[in-house]
Amino acid sequence: MKTVIKTSNLEKVYNGSVAPVRAVNNVNLEFQEGEFTAIVGPSGSGKTTFLNLIGGLDKPTGGQVIIDGTDIASLKESQLFDFRLKHIGFVFQSYNLIPVLTAKENVSFIMLLQKQSKDAMEKRAKEMLEQVGLSDKLNSRPNQLSGGQQQRVAVARALASKPKFVLADEPTANLDTESAFNLLDIMSRLNKEENITLIFSTHDQRVIERASRVITLVDGEVSKDEMFDR
Amino acid sequence: MKTLLKISWRNIWRNRTRSLVIILAIVLGLMGGIFSVGMRLGIETQQFRETVETQISHIQLHHPEFIANPEARFRIENGLQLAAEMMEKPWVEVASPRTVFDGMIASANMNAGVRIKGIDPELEILTTSLNELLEEGTYFEEEGRLPTIIIGQRLARDIKAEVGSRIVLTFQDIHGEIVSASFRVEGFYSVASPGFEERTVFLKADILNNLIGDSNAVNEIALLIHDLDQYREKTALLREMHPDIEIRNWADLAPSLYFSIEFLHQNMAWIVGIIILGVSFGLLNTILMSVLERVNELGVLMAIGMKRLKVFSMVVTETTLLSIVGGSLGLLLSWIMVVLLNINGIDMSGAGGEGLAEFGYSSLVFLEVPASLYLDIGVMVVIFAILASVYPAWKAVRFAPAEAVRQE
Repeated sequence: MKTVIKTSNLEKVYNGSVAPVRAVNNVNLEFQEGEFTAIVGPSGSGKTTFLNLIGGLDKPTGGQVIIDGTDIASLKESQLFDFRLKHIGFVFQSYNLIPVLTAKENVSFIMLLQKQSKDAMEKRAKEMLEQVGLSDKLNSRPNQLSGGQQQRVAVARALASKPKFVLADEPTANLDTESAFNLLDIMSRLNKEENITLIFSTHDQRVIERASRVITLVDGEVSKDEMFDR
Repeated sequence: MKTLLKISWRNIWRNRTRSLVIILAIVLGLMGGIFSVGMRLGIETQQFRETVETQISHIQLHHPEFIANPEARFRIENGLQLAAEMMEKPWVEVASPRTVFDGMIASANMNAGVRIKGIDPELEILTTSLNELLEEGTYFEEEGRLPTIIIGQRLARDIKAEVGSRIVLTFQDIHGEIVSASFRVEGFYSVASPGFEERTVFLKADILNNLIGDSNAVNEIALLIHDLDQYREKTALLREMHPDIEIRNWADLAPSLYFSIEFLHQNMAWIVGIIILGVSFGLLNTILMSVLERVNELGVLMAIGMKRLKVFSMVVTETTLLSIVGGSLGLLLSWIMVVLLNINGIDMSGAGGEGLAEFGYSSLVFLEVPASLYLDIGVMVVIFAILASVYPAWKAVRFAPAEAVRQE
């Protein structure tokens, strides 16, 4: 199996008001292609910070994040924008679709930034919305969709540009049980069918039960790293 | 680019009320600015027409000593020939030779000091449209026993003369001898300037010239030129060609009018600029609010790979589009306002218009808004809007994506 992400001695220290806060401390992990990983841990354990570091949204104060042989901590800001655009898909807790664009336009948006052809974008956007069961909502704006539907559009957006991996920060936190299961079914299917690497930060037991790997963070350090055959 | 425009355009209408309020502010600001400038320009243009075109003309030629001593003897040498030569020049619209000096007018009841102008009635029509200024009587049509004279309405009132009254003019001839002659009042003219109307009388130059003893006398040549913008160059040219003649243009003759017009033209942009600046702060506030409400959303855009410059451009484009909508609507409505108000003019008589007349202003004002002003304002609105968008746009991209995504 191919290693997609490798972190070595990864560290992030914030300047707290009283003392420095070590949000991520000496994390050494490898993520393989096609893995469905859940990062779990109590609030403040460093889950989101860890995702931001491997997603290139935040710079580490120490260590490395190697993606495809590149240490992304060494990239300049504009290179990092390009890197994220090309290689990483994001799904956020609050869906975070562009409110003024339709579902199809939201899904096409990253491909547009990647300067893909109009036809290719159109085809891929339709295909992805079909995959997440929203082929009848192509022209709906986010405010015309339910929370679950919006999060499915967000998943379609994250996957449309065929990223190396998808980072999802508590994607089911705002969803009811049915929507959450629906979303997880879709993501599990895409994970298997398209061999997409998924990394979730979550508190949600429903997500944890689907994951093939569960990493527990406590105080910014890896306390458990378990594999499951699912 | 197309998508950026689309997103920006849709973003504007996310908060319809807020956008409409700022568009309304731009529209009202522009209408206010254009009204105030149009009004000032209208008053100035009117005053210019009334002073320059009906009284002093564009350029005047005199004997140098005539300025200090307006007497019949200070004549322009070969004046008639010079006036005829002037008429030949392609840039001269009309050259009117006049016999001019100061004298006394006496009616049966009273007398007054006046400036006597001997004119060629036909040329004077082309120069000052004197015939159109008549309030009563006729314009040198009478062929009676006495030669006729046209006087100002105010002067007629002062000396209690009527149309048909006999009056006597007393003045010096070219040798300094006192001459008196009787005339019949043929008409009254009226101009906005009370001083001119109280002090100036017109009669035929040939009659006056016979009385002063020089049938070819010319004390003044009044010129109108085709392109008024060239009055400075043409004055300089004439001064070079005729160093022995005193040549003055309208700006020399009416310096206060000249300075007030110059001041207005130079400050017109400031008046509108200050209004647009005020509106720009409103625009800045609106865009800033809309940006601060969207920190999270803009963070997501940057997180998924939209570069800061693109996000910055998006905010600038939003502001620019808003200003283009407000600006075009404002200019269109201003234009309609100007057209509608100019159908009948704005009657200022209820608002101190009578006082205006004392200073040579008419109480009926027509707005004057040059096409270039609309264009200048249009460009200025967009430039100010772009400047106003820089701060909100900078705010929009200032956040680190990770930090912005966390904001709710």
